[in-house]
Amino acid sequence: MPDSHSLIEMRDIDLYFGTFHALKNVSVDFDSGELVGLVGDNGAGKTTLINILCGLHTPTAGEVRFDGARIAQFHPRLAIENGIETIQQAVGLCDNLSIARNFFLGREPVRRLLGIPMLDFAAMRAASGKVIRTFGLRDSVTPDDEVAQLSGGERQSVKIGRAVEFKNRVVIMDEPTNHLSVREREHVNELAQQLRDQGLLVIYITHDIFQVHRIADRIVILENGEKILDAAKDAMSADELEGIIRDGGRQVQAGEHRDARPQGGAT
Amino acid sequence: MNRTALARLLVRHPESSALVAAAVLIAGFSVISGGVWLNAGNLQSVLHVVAVLAILAIGESFVIATGEIDVSIGSTFGVGAFLFLGLAPVVGVVPAVLLAIVLGCAIGAVNGYISSYLGISSLITTLGTLFIFRGITYLLTEEGAAFSISLTDRAEMAAYGWFGSGTVLGFQNSILWTLALAAVAHGVVFLTPFGNRLLAIGGDRASALARGVPVRFVRLMAFVVSGTCAVLAGVLEANKTGFADASSGRSMELEAIATCVVGGCLLAGGRITIVGVLLGALILSGISSFLVIMRVTPQLYLMVLAGLVVLALIGDQRLRSWAIRQR
Repeated sequence: MPDSHSLIEMRDIDLYFGTFHALKNVSVDFDSGELVGLVGDNGAGKTTLINILCGLHTPTAGEVRFDGARIAQFHPRLAIENGIETIQQAVGLCDNLSIARNFFLGREPVRRLLGIPMLDFAAMRAASGKVIRTFGLRDSVTPDDEVAQLSGGERQSVKIGRAVEFKNRVVIMDEPTNHLSVREREHVNELAQQLRDQGLLVIYITHDIFQVHRIADRIVILENGEKILDAAKDAMSADELEGIIRDGGRQVQAGEHRDARPQGGAT
Repeated sequence: MNRTALARLLVRHPESSALVAAAVLIAGFSVISGGVWLNAGNLQSVLHVVAVLAILAIGESFVIATGEIDVSIGSTFGVGAFLFLGLAPVVGVVPAVLLAIVLGCAIGAVNGYISSYLGISSLITTLGTLFIFRGITYLLTEEGAAFSISLTDRAEMAAYGWFGSGTVLGFQNSILWTLALAAVAHGVVFLTPFGNRLLAIGGDRASALARGVPVRFVRLMAFVVSGTCAVLAGVLEANKTGFADASSGRSMELEAIATCVVGGCLLAGGRITIVGVLLGALILSGISSFLVIMRVTPQLYLMVLAGLVVLALIGDQRLRSWAIRQR
């Protein structure tokens, strides 16, 4: 394949925190329009890998390409510049502010009054109101309501809606359904699939293989900082995958490395 | 009004309780003092105190909005008063005020830089600068420099009466300066992107950071506002009395913080109200003048103040948790 490249290419990534080897020679690609389940136990390196994409960590070795261009400098604005939105359970919305104010926090639309930038409340209410209606929040919720009043699922919906509204290309969902009720969890998972269907890359981080197996196109498993599996969802059942995670990838490392991606990946 | 509507009012307008308290106290003071509290002479002096205290507290509220605290404003106030009195006879009144404002910005920038860029707790940082600036005012007075302007000199200085000592339509202009500043502050906090970020940082710093808000810079600017307001308050007071000594502004930082709390600002950050700050200043100044009229020993004022702050904090917590339960 001469000119084609994946949206995100991570090659031979190594990362040390002091003497701790957090990521060991990890190579992985991500494409637009796919929903990838990034799975592993606590401490496997899932969030660390994602933090590199978001510019929060600089890899000790290896390279990252976004849309073909090599990232030279890792800094916190990288995520915003590249249109990468991270959705985490605990972070992203300020309880004390209204939905409309939260929606545009950090990139508020303004109208100038005598040259002074003033918040454009009409635009803020319109955009956030649209998301409230299309992303399944209660009918009684308005853009002027404080986020403190929303349920856990509604908060996630607002964050996901915001990711779409800002025309992001990548949405990283980091354990997005922790502490959610069963119905809210279903709703968030549906939204993840909708984003994928709209052509976005969705990276879904979780330690619950059964949950992500139902919705993902591909599963990447990390264990102790190493990628132990990168397989199309259909290649294996959720039970098989769980077996691999439970046994720490020993059988995979013993030579049975399964890389069932259509066009290969790491060797 | 049903309970949900009341709950909504309390959450959206944290100054509501201060409004009720101010109305009750003013009525009570007037009746108990046999009308003395409400007479024109007393009201004029109360309003000047309200003006100075409110300006200090408005500045403080910007810092409180981010969840930090600035306790250096008492001595910054003193520095502002000294600077005005020392410079006005030399460079003229308006340039003296402008220079004082520049110094206020610089003092705020130092506090803000140390606490937000060097990561020192704002309480410790500003406690340090509180004593440093107080020390400077002591040194200046020991050198024998005169920090007073006589009434005859004042009459000859152009524009002297503009900054606190003159009147407009019978009102002392200090209260007009305060109202103008309050209007601007209210607009900045609630109608601009800067205000949105200021409140976001106090509400949830991690989320603000995750949305790309320049947290450290916004916090530094909050300290700049606080320092500038403290100097302005010092200028208005010095202009009115024509005199300042090393104790000018002593314990004013406590009064300003109390004003914010009584007005409905949340010390933990994320919620302030400029209208509430004005009401809080009215309540505190009202109590102080009531104690004077009733010939109560002035030392009692600080005790009453402390009690009031504790009451306000407890009441605020109760009211707010009740309001949230109504949803």
